[in-house]
Amino acid sequence: MLKRLGNFLRKKLLLVILIGFVVGIVATLYSHKVIVATSTNESCEACHVHPHVFDSWKLSVHYDNRVGMHVGCVDCHLPPKGHGYLNEKIKAGTKDIYGYLFKDSIDFNWEAKSTLEEAQHFVFKESCIKCHANLFPLTLNKEGQDAHLYYSQNEDELRCINCHLNVGHYDPNAIHAKNVEFGSSGNEDKEKYTAPATVTAHKNFTETIPGTTISFNMKAIPGGSFKIGSPEKEQFRKADEGPQKEVKLSPFFMAEVEVTWETYLAFYSATAAEGRSTDTEGARTKADVDAISGPTPPYGQPDQNWGLGNRPAITMSYHSAETFCKWLSQVTGKNYRLPTEAEWEYAARGGTETPFFFEGNPKDFGEKGFFGNLFGKGDNKIDNYVIYGSNSQLKTAEPDKVEANPFGLKNMLGNAEEYCSDWYAEDAYKKLQNGATNPKGPVSGEEHVIRGGSFKSEIGEVRSAARDFTKSVAWMKTDPQMPKSIWWLSDCNYISFRVVCDFDNKTGKN
Amino acid sequence: MILTIKQEKINTFRVQNQIKYFIMGNNNFSRRKFLASAATVGAVGAMGVGTLSSCSSQGGSNAGGGAAANCDWVKRDLKFPPLLDKVPEGKVLKAGVIGCGGRGSGAAINFLDAGGKTVTITALGDVFDDRLGSLRKKLMNHESKTEIADENCFIGFDAFEKVIASGVDIVILATPPKFRPQQFEAAVKARKHVFMEKPVAVDPVGIRQVIAAAKMADAAGLKVVTGTQRRHELSYINLIKELNDNNGIGKITGANVYWNGGKLWHRNNKPEWSEMEWMIRDWVNWTWLSGDHIVEQHVHNLDVANWFIGTHPTKALGFGSRQRRVTGDQYDNFSIDYVYDDGMHIHSMCRQINSCSNGVYEIFHGTKAIATTVGHKPQIVDAAGNQLFLAEKADISPYVQEHKDLITCIRQNIPFNEAENTAISVMTAIMGRVSAYTGKTVTFEEMMNSDMKLGPDTFIMGDVGYMAKAEVPVPGTLERKK
Repeated sequence: MLKRLGNFLRKKLLLVILIGFVVGIVATLYSHKVIVATSTNESCEACHVHPHVFDSWKLSVHYDNRVGMHVGCVDCHLPPKGHGYLNEKIKAGTKDIYGYLFKDSIDFNWEAKSTLEEAQHFVFKESCIKCHANLFPLTLNKEGQDAHLYYSQNEDELRCINCHLNVGHYDPNAIHAKNVEFGSSGNEDKEKYTAPATVTAHKNFTETIPGTTISFNMKAIPGGSFKIGSPEKEQFRKADEGPQKEVKLSPFFMAEVEVTWETYLAFYSATAAEGRSTDTEGARTKADVDAISGPTPPYGQPDQNWGLGNRPAITMSYHSAETFCKWLSQVTGKNYRLPTEAEWEYAARGGTETPFFFEGNPKDFGEKGFFGNLFGKGDNKIDNYVIYGSNSQLKTAEPDKVEANPFGLKNMLGNAEEYCSDWYAEDAYKKLQNGATNPKGPVSGEEHVIRGGSFKSEIGEVRSAARDFTKSVAWMKTDPQMPKSIWWLSDCNYISFRVVCDFDNKTGKN
Repeated sequence: MILTIKQEKINTFRVQNQIKYFIMGNNNFSRRKFLASAATVGAVGAMGVGTLSSCSSQGGSNAGGGAAANCDWVKRDLKFPPLLDKVPEGKVLKAGVIGCGGRGSGAAINFLDAGGKTVTITALGDVFDDRLGSLRKKLMNHESKTEIADENCFIGFDAFEKVIASGVDIVILATPPKFRPQQFEAAVKARKHVFMEKPVAVDPVGIRQVIAAAKMADAAGLKVVTGTQRRHELSYINLIKELNDNNGIGKITGANVYWNGGKLWHRNNKPEWSEMEWMIRDWVNWTWLSGDHIVEQHVHNLDVANWFIGTHPTKALGFGSRQRRVTGDQYDNFSIDYVYDDGMHIHSMCRQINSCSNGVYEIFHGTKAIATTVGHKPQIVDAAGNQLFLAEKADISPYVQEHKDLITCIRQNIPFNEAENTAISVMTAIMGRVSAYTGKTVTFEEMMNSDMKLGPDTFIMGDVGYMAKAEVPVPGTLERKK
């Protein structure tokens, strides 16, 4: 039987080849048609049920422009042919089909998906450059020249959407300019405080900022000693959290919450400089030395359009945070400053030695995921205390969303990371003396400690002992201004700070 | 796109430290305060300077043979201008001259000599009637008998716009360098080919404007020559070819570059002159107009260093002073130690004082031998001074040759644009100047990010209150402070 078939094939070799050829051509043509057919805007629209996608696209300059060109979905959301087009198409298609069949589009966090971090995974630089081949057209304005010059020197590290995020989908709130209006609040008519709080003993108090409508709570943190760092067996522990050392701390006061936009904006409007960065700083005459010169107008929208009010102020530079403390000290007659790393962890633990200030281990609070959904999460107690990656919708929350720790402090873990005054060193605890009193960290360094994790963090990063540090270069990567701002970070939306106040002769210590 | 050196990518924009510069202009020459604020910014600068290589750590002197493999000269892909004796025929090219002083007149005549009957000059612009008139007369007396119509003679700070709009193909920019970036950008945006004199700017803001406009010129296919005529001089080209193609001196481990000469000139005030008129007529003595002489004159030698070494220094520390200058606010001597990314040092020295020992040349110390241009005779010598190689030279003046190259590149559509390279050399000079004025180490990266902009904000021919506040910079403090 097989032999006969073999013979037949051998005899009709030409026919077999011809049939193979025809089948090949048909398959090629057909698959090409499939690729084309599944790359039209209509085919995208068939599944992409997110209602705003097409509306915002039609409002954007990639649809509505004076040259009358429409740029379709795959022109930006897939790389050009020859740059992994088919690969990405298969990847995106598979993901989309899975999402369409197994997920509910209402559950998607569309807001987060349109942020730079997410967008960089489905907007391709090669596609931008394919059409926008000349970055220096003769019509380019001054700001564009500076920005594209900067890009041309840093091509490997930058994407077009770093600056041009909203060109494909219109966002009415996006600002791509110096934001001079920023921070004008509606509080001008309210009654203003005339004096700062008087503090006579080491007790909780409410600070009032003279000349503003702003007040905030300070918690008295008792002196004591604790073990800084984490034991070796703690889940998700990193090497820089050890070895654990005994540390003594004097009593101090700490703000109940991360500095709010409301408070930060009081500082901004009281000290804001019109000029650029150090123009004012360097040109200051001797007579002005006592006057504190504060932030210049930010570029873009520092609050990420999440809202101001009681949300933690974010995106300020370390220099800004320090200057805020200097200003607050000046207007209240007390000594406000950033916490040391030891003070921070001591306050965050509130007397506990466990991974969190509440009961439980990190792995008890499993991440939501395929299996998480299937079997249900083990424990969601953490949602009462911590705003982090799994429950934050990728933005900061107002402080009343969580409960306080044993010292009465909120959002020590999660929400926004917080500046500490220490320089960061991986081996900082190794060099720390056991039993040290009020340690201040390494004498010098390049990056500062930041603590507490943020709304973006995974579970391991919101433990009391978890350490992190500033990233000076990366956080300023896309500031298009020349020179870059010393006040606002262009590329970090998760940093804030919280103040501490010294317990000294100005606050009732005898 | 640039036919000179394939410059290493200038990776200078990284903001490792946030040291900033305030505007030095605005009638407030408080340069002493400059950099003082750096400490308050508080960021720790991780300077982007690499460790010393084993070659350059030998002290920068001629280390003699036996160099290890990684110490050898690395051959580069060098490009040179066409260097034709005679420009190709073509449609008559019309040029307009902006800035009709000494160099503008020189450049105009060089241009006519270079192009012969195939080029002409059809428009002139200047802020001073008498300067424009004098060039007009020179052109009339030139063998080409070039006549400029009255309606194509423009006076005023906006004369450049009118010259550019007058229907020319090429603009020759030869005003004091302060005005160059604005004029260059305007010329490029009007799609004109450009001959512009060095230096191309006096401050970082201007430098960035020139680099951006240079990139626009590239994209628009325009040709730009920048008055760094050594790059068009056959003997210099033959010397660098010997170094590059034949490994003439081995790897360069250090260099000295000099422009020690007499004073240029100064103008005393006249009762009929306004403050602005006096400053512009006396421009080689004012930093905001000329960039100071390290930028205005010595940039030639620094440009040769960047050309031969193949990249620019990453930081500078130097000093200078004012000993005998009569007018203005400039220094008259500078001595700068420039450091490159790999740790190599070169020394730069320039002076404008009469009756001192002088010399204008460059020396490159290699692992095998020494290249020198002393006496304007590019050659290679050994450690004992014996000549190993003498570069052949051309009879033609390089000031004419550079115009021939421009005309040739336009007619044959050869991509040629020196603006960015020259801007980087000028920035190198500015970095040295700022270091001398402040007494501080200054990095190239800081300069590329600086918002320093010299001079008054607006240009009007009148009293602008600039000179009364101008002061000659003094580095450091009297007190013992850091």
